[in-house]
Amino acid sequence: MNTPYKFKLKFPSDLDYIPPIRKFIAETLTVTQFTPKFAYRSEVIVDEICHNAIVHGSRSLNAEIELECEIYPDKFEFRVKDEGGKKEDLEKLKSVVKKSDVSALGLSEGNENRGLGLEIVRLLSEEIDMEIGENNKTTVRVVRKREDF
Amino acid sequence: MESQIELEYEDIKGHSNAKLVRFIGDLDATNVETVLEKICNLFNDGFINIVADFKKLRYVNSTGLGILLHFSKSAKEKNGSFKIANVNENVYEIIEIIGATTLLEIYDEIEEALASLK
Amino acid sequence: MSVKIEKEQIKDKPELLLWKIAGSLGTESINDISSKFEEIINQNYKFLIAEMSNVNFISSAALGQFMGCRQMLVEKGGDMVFSGVNLDIKTKLSAMGALKIFKFYNELRTAINAYEWEVEKKPEKVYLSFPPELKFVPAVRQMVSRIAKQKGYSQRDAFRIETIVDEICNNAVEHGSVDQKKNIEATVIIGKEKIELEVVNTSDPNKIEHLKEISNSLKTLSPKHDERRGRGLALIKMLSNKLDINFSGDGTSVHVTKLREE
Repeated sequence: MNTPYKFKLKFPSDLDYIPPIRKFIAETLTVTQFTPKFAYRSEVIVDEICHNAIVHGSRSLNAEIELECEIYPDKFEFRVKDEGGKKEDLEKLKSVVKKSDVSALGLSEGNENRGLGLEIVRLLSEEIDMEIGENNKTTVRVVRKREDF
Repeated sequence: MESQIELEYEDIKGHSNAKLVRFIGDLDATNVETVLEKICNLFNDGFINIVADFKKLRYVNSTGLGILLHFSKSAKEKNGSFKIANVNENVYEIIEIIGATTLLEIYDEIEEALASLK
Repeated sequence: MSVKIEKEQIKDKPELLLWKIAGSLGTESINDISSKFEEIINQNYKFLIAEMSNVNFISSAALGQFMGCRQMLVEKGGDMVFSGVNLDIKTKLSAMGALKIFKFYNELRTAINAYEWEVEKKPEKVYLSFPPELKFVPAVRQMVSRIAKQKGYSQRDAFRIETIVDEICNNAVEHGSVDQKKNIEATVIIGKEKIELEVVNTSDPNKIEHLKEISNSLKTLSPKHDERRGRGLALIKMLSNKLDINFSGDGTSVHVTKLREE
């Protein structure tokens, strides 16, 4: 296996940080020869996973989010860790990760946001799984394989 | 504070209750509030038909998508419309994979969207 | 339908109070709002966050009452903001002109973060570890620049910060140890009034003496004109307010402080 490029980011659990970080990931993928489309889709996935971690996975005021990623020639893998959220939010996350049906979201004009983000992630990724550790600390792992490899 | 998004406005000839709005930048969780305020201001000022030109809208996430669905719903409640045109491939893909293409009024070209105004 | 207003003190923030509001803010709720507010107005609280994610309706009378509350807090040097207001209610509030007066935050956490940033001037920390290759430096510098802009720094300040990051990271890559290939570590501490950057890398033992020379020459602000890296460090020194370079073991750390100018 080729040695991947490894990156690690730690940032405050604040939505303000998502735009610079998602763009950083996209730009990094572009310089490692992934296509602009791949970089864009990855940007969206990183956005949605980090958004979820911030909104649902951060109990304390000074919570931090950790993002680690590896860039291989043929794939991009990343993990987002948060300090853990409420039990009902974890259950919701689990059900999306287990390949729920898009129609189950009940998408309509009046029901704009529920679960949309994670469903987008699920539809754009080859692998997605989650691990719940001590005190509900949650790690979501996503793998995207290079389309033209 | 927000990631960069700019809205540019233009009157639409022959339609006093319509406005062309150009979205420039990224639409995400950090700036939906600002965009909501601006579009609501248009609705409140009587511009119940909005034609959104997405030619320079680079990026949208689920929060951005949610606000677009909200605009569509709000416009209909006022007997108006929220039409979208010139969506780039990447943004369209996000709208499509989530199944929202049937809920939003999307046109390939701005001229088509304008022609559809009643 | 009635309204429930629960007050909650936030730990270590004596001037900030949280109202968790649930139910319907109809006309009949203005007495509840008024009496709850009277309880707090004579105490130390200057800042109020109204958490509205469980509110299903708001009347113009209730909004008017909130405006009155806000006015009294502003006179004390404080403010009142909303968090968690759903889209339908926000659209209605927009028609009432509320968006021009109040700040709205998607989440309670964002509202508290904004308070910490604006009022407590609390800095925030970002850590990044990246491979020691020049091709990653543009993305790194742009990320830090965007963070600065996101946090309200001017375009000009953000550009200066980008230049500083670029020069430090280029140095870290070029003077880094070719054999070790250990990631470069960057820490950004950004506050309302200044930004601090620290970049640490393992150094090539063959280059470290040269780097020490450049560092010493900076003390007299006279880098050699043919020394590209010397010019880079000189540029950092001119754009920043404080520059420290430390050599320890086989590593180099560069620490820069830059005050917000605009």
